Amino acid sequence: MDAVEKANAARQRRWTKDQKVGEGTYAVVYRGREAATGRRVAIKKLKVGQFKDGLDMSAIREVKYLRELRHPNVIELLDVFSSKTNLNLVLEFLDSELEAIIKDRTLVFLPADIKSWIAMTFRGLEYCHRNFVLHRDLKPNNLLIASDGQLKLADFGLARDFADPGYKMTCQVITRWYRPPELLFGSRYYSTAVDIWSVGCIFAELMLRTPYLPGESDMDQLKTIFRALGTPAEEDWPVRPPRTASDDTLADVHALQGHTKLPDYVPVGQFPKTPLRDLFTAASADTLNLLGKCLVYEPRKRISAKEALNHPYFSALPYPSHPSKLPKCAAQLASAKVLEEVNGNVDPVGQGPGVKAAPPKRAKRKLSDDDISRNIARKLDFS
Amino acid sequence: MALPAPPDVPSIPPPTRTPLFEGSTQFRNWRFSQQQLHATRVSLNRSAVTAIRNTFEADLPGSSSDIQFLESKEELLLVKLYVTKISQLCGHFRFPEEVEATGISYLKRFYLKNTVMDWHPKNVMLTALFLATKTTNNPISLEAYTSNIPRTSASDVLDLEFLVAQSLAFEFAIWHAHRALWGLWLDVQDLPNAPNRDDLQKYYDTAVQHVRTSRLTDAELIYPPSQIALACLSLADSDLAATWARAKGAESVLQIIPSIKDMILQDGQVPSVEVVREIDRRLKVCKNPEKVVGSKAYLAKKEKEEREAESKRAKKAEGVRKAMEDGDPFGDELNGAATAIAALDDDD
Repeated sequence: MDAVEKANAARQRRWTKDQKVGEGTYAVVYRGREAATGRRVAIKKLKVGQFKDGLDMSAIREVKYLRELRHPNVIELLDVFSSKTNLNLVLEFLDSELEAIIKDRTLVFLPADIKSWIAMTFRGLEYCHRNFVLHRDLKPNNLLIASDGQLKLADFGLARDFADPGYKMTCQVITRWYRPPELLFGSRYYSTAVDIWSVGCIFAELMLRTPYLPGESDMDQLKTIFRALGTPAEEDWPVRPPRTASDDTLADVHALQGHTKLPDYVPVGQFPKTPLRDLFTAASADTLNLLGKCLVYEPRKRISAKEALNHPYFSALPYPSHPSKLPKCAAQLASAKVLEEVNGNVDPVGQGPGVKAAPPKRAKRKLSDDDISRNIARKLDFS
Repeated sequence: MALPAPPDVPSIPPPTRTPLFEGSTQFRNWRFSQQQLHATRVSLNRSAVTAIRNTFEADLPGSSSDIQFLESKEELLLVKLYVTKISQLCGHFRFPEEVEATGISYLKRFYLKNTVMDWHPKNVMLTALFLATKTTNNPISLEAYTSNIPRTSASDVLDLEFLVAQSLAFEFAIWHAHRALWGLWLDVQDLPNAPNRDDLQKYYDTAVQHVRTSRLTDAELIYPPSQIALACLSLADSDLAATWARAKGAESVLQIIPSIKDMILQDGQVPSVEVVREIDRRLKVCKNPEKVVGSKAYLAKKEKEEREAESKRAKKAEGVRKAMEDGDPFGDELNGAATAIAALDDDD
């Protein structure tokens, strides 16, 4: 046996597969263990042999980035090995994901809980952006939750390095409800700001407990966005004409046009701008300020992940909940999650409720014994 | 004026920022000393020779005695020639420089885990380059790729893709010297008393050529890309490189630069075709017969693997059958066990 084959066989022996927990078109997910320690892991087996062009791009992207990235708020790739024509990714085992927690109506979120999840999301994202990686598929069910409450960015199947100025990227990325307007208008030159818009949508969803901008089609998505945030005027969202890779003249760099010049621009109707306050009635001023900065139309004016982490929202009271004190869903939703992740769909499977986000039923929090103890725990943690 | 910290307050060291490069797999797993590189290649070569000799002897005792096996430095020359082939192909396809540089890095890394006597660099080179188009986000279809390369079929590329990816330990991200040089180029334009734009452009263009030459050497396996880039700039204009280093407060790096420059100038030669052709001719005789499709040793190895797989399948099927037989047809906990076994795929 070759040295390389031997090394692969040794890696394979390190991990045992226990139980199949999900199967999709491209992958099967198993719950497994590290043979030596019993540590729980998830093994994602990608079927590779079926592709006529060999290893497919989403597998390559996922492996490439997860091999490089190491951060408490990014899912850890523990190992990679192959078995015959399959590629096996050994990932840390995570109990749950944010979508399941949002949907679990038995859970009550404190503003401090939301602050904690958003802080962890921004931390993971700032690390990715610092490493020149765009995630391009942020949504609640790609934010996995570990048993200790840590939130981790997962599913890097659509991730890529920043393109150099003048090089095109595809605009067919990010699940529709979380996709920023510049991509819906077909922009092929974009930046980290696309991920920030997604975080803004997730932030709003945590407060509303229902998707904030659930468009039924790409066209309806724009309408839904403009209905919620007002149709931008030309000067609200100026666009710099792209420089081609070979173009070295600096003359027209400052020539700005409006967003109506974007490739797939279509008018979708005039909607008035309504203050965020009207929908998010209970949110603090800091909260709405940060949310608003994530949902700015002009991508270059949108807040960066690093700036967001320094935003007063995170240093104001209430302090973020300690991860271990965050609400957890009782049900073991891990298997449901991996199933969805396996499909790696860009478009949401269902059409969703297709409603304009209704103001949440903000039931007055009852101060149960449990809540009191949580508050005490929080004080102990942070005083 | 900095006051000494009071004794009872522990002084908190300022947070140290680790350079991003030091978190990369390239920094952690793919940097070697020259001695390590040499030792790795020699030991790979030795164990391959031993294994192949044994295979020959098993087939026909005495048959290996007059075979002239390749030495590690001859293997290296052959790989080097195929590095130049990657550049030619990239010119033909008009691939971006990142694809070319990545393909070359993959080829070099592959032969730190394998030997040319097991895997001939021709197909490994094709596979490494094809993989590089995908990992750098410049994918083209396999059909478009192979149809533009003479005498190449899809299986020439795909059969080795897994082996290449495995040899790279699935670490696909590469930090390149040409990117570092681009950073230097942006920096030097901002230097006080920078040379005029035309001169700068000339130095940069020369430095880019040196970076391309450096890809023929082991430099990227020894030095970080930033140092290679600075050495290339120094080859173009040593004053400019020194000025940049002083402006950055990084004079110490200038001590390392001469050895990189020497390596690029000495090892950056394209190997002579006659010499490599002779190596390739000898390789035809001494390559591992187990890897030659259709040979006796190849068939014997395949047959053995098939037998092992067959006995594994039989064992599994027996387990499933037993579990089914023992169970109540209307279902009890044993049926659960049966489905659990059946749920595992064939190849586990």
